[in-house]
Amino acid sequence: MKTLTGGARRMPLRLALAACASVILMAGAALAHDVTPGDAGYIQEIWGVHIIPFIYLGAKHMITGYDHILFLLGVVFFLYRMKDVAIYVSLFALGHSVTMLLGVWFGWGINAYIIDAIIGLSVVYKALDNLGAFQKWLGFQPDTKAATLIFGLFHGTGLASKILEYQISEDGLLANLLAFNVGVEVGQLLALFVILIVMGYWRRSPDFLRQATYANLIMVALGVLLTWQQVAGYLGSV
Amino acid sequence: MHNAPKPKPEDLPTRAQLRRSTLIACIGAVAIGVMVYMPAELGRDPTGVGTFLGLTEMGLIKQQLAEEAEADALLHGGDDQSSLMNDILGLFVSQAHAQEAWQDEITFTLAPGASTEIKATMEEGATLFYAWSAEGGRINFDLHAHAGDRNVTYEKGRGQTSGEGSFVTPFAGDHGWFWRNRDSAAATVTLRLRGDYSAIVRAD
Repeated sequence: MKTLTGGARRMPLRLALAACASVILMAGAALAHDVTPGDAGYIQEIWGVHIIPFIYLGAKHMITGYDHILFLLGVVFFLYRMKDVAIYVSLFALGHSVTMLLGVWFGWGINAYIIDAIIGLSVVYKALDNLGAFQKWLGFQPDTKAATLIFGLFHGTGLASKILEYQISEDGLLANLLAFNVGVEVGQLLALFVILIVMGYWRRSPDFLRQATYANLIMVALGVLLTWQQVAGYLGSV
Repeated sequence: MHNAPKPKPEDLPTRAQLRRSTLIACIGAVAIGVMVYMPAELGRDPTGVGTFLGLTEMGLIKQQLAEEAEADALLHGGDDQSSLMNDILGLFVSQAHAQEAWQDEITFTLAPGASTEIKATMEEGATLFYAWSAEGGRINFDLHAHAGDRNVTYEKGRGQTSGEGSFVTPFAGDHGWFWRNRDSAAATVTLRLRGDYSAIVRAD
């Protein structure tokens, strides 16, 4: 059931309500031994050190986690020198690694809706930042490196809450967790590779800067949508 | 307008570089799809790389779990049928001679990947005491019960070699264990039971 609620969190409200209703119906139908399918089911059946499977799961989690990818896209949107890309992506990686590892190790029980709502807001922040909104509203440019690191910390806390739902065995936990973290970075680099190719073509277009405004406005809207889904999910859960 | 100036064309990657990167990305995507994704999700490994990496096992377990979840949904579509099915599938395990205070001793061996279910038919409010140990391998288990629209999970564990305890039933029905061997060697489990039950039901 844990995985079902985890999946429901990413759905729009109406879908989530339908999912809740079906969960109640399914509970009525009584599962034989409460089968948990998918990644969580696999993890709950194994113990001991499994380096490569956990690297795979970490990479899969990152690539399919569109809130992380959206933030990453926002971060590199206007970065075209490889040195800048490397600095910012490393800061993001440092941030999310720290809280992901600490969060799982110490079992931080932070409400996943709240943390995912903050992750949604990080997308809004970065897109507004790209649009130059803070320069206009505040009269100065907030430190973009610090923002990337700090939001990285929140993204890591979100990752930790998802990993806790997986219920990884204590046997081999540290090695598996580190492997998962390596996988998250591998997944991030794979996604980044594709993002940079697309951005590379796009930046050569003469209309890039005009389209960039619209793209970041769309990103603000998507961030607001993500945040709203989590807030609605939270209100529905209390 | 933005928080970044317009990039200088000479700083951007050339079209030739972009084409080369795109080609690499496409080849990489196909390679990952066949050598990593297929084994890890579908349990199918045409190249042998997935097995070498230890990913095929994950895919096979996921496929197995998906099938079991589907079979469960079918089996428990009608509530009354589930207990009927259990009765049909179930066979009575003959009572072993009582050792000390235990009423029954059941021994079974599970090959790697194999599973079985052993349950005690009990009334509501009845108590079952149990002790079990595994030899040759470590065992995953799910101690639970379901009857009609009620279900309960008493305890779950993985990679264990022994366990003991007791539980009181919140409702009448078959209460007991789903056992599965996820270890690399065959495991023999000896389960001892004592308490208020009328029968032992076993379903493979």
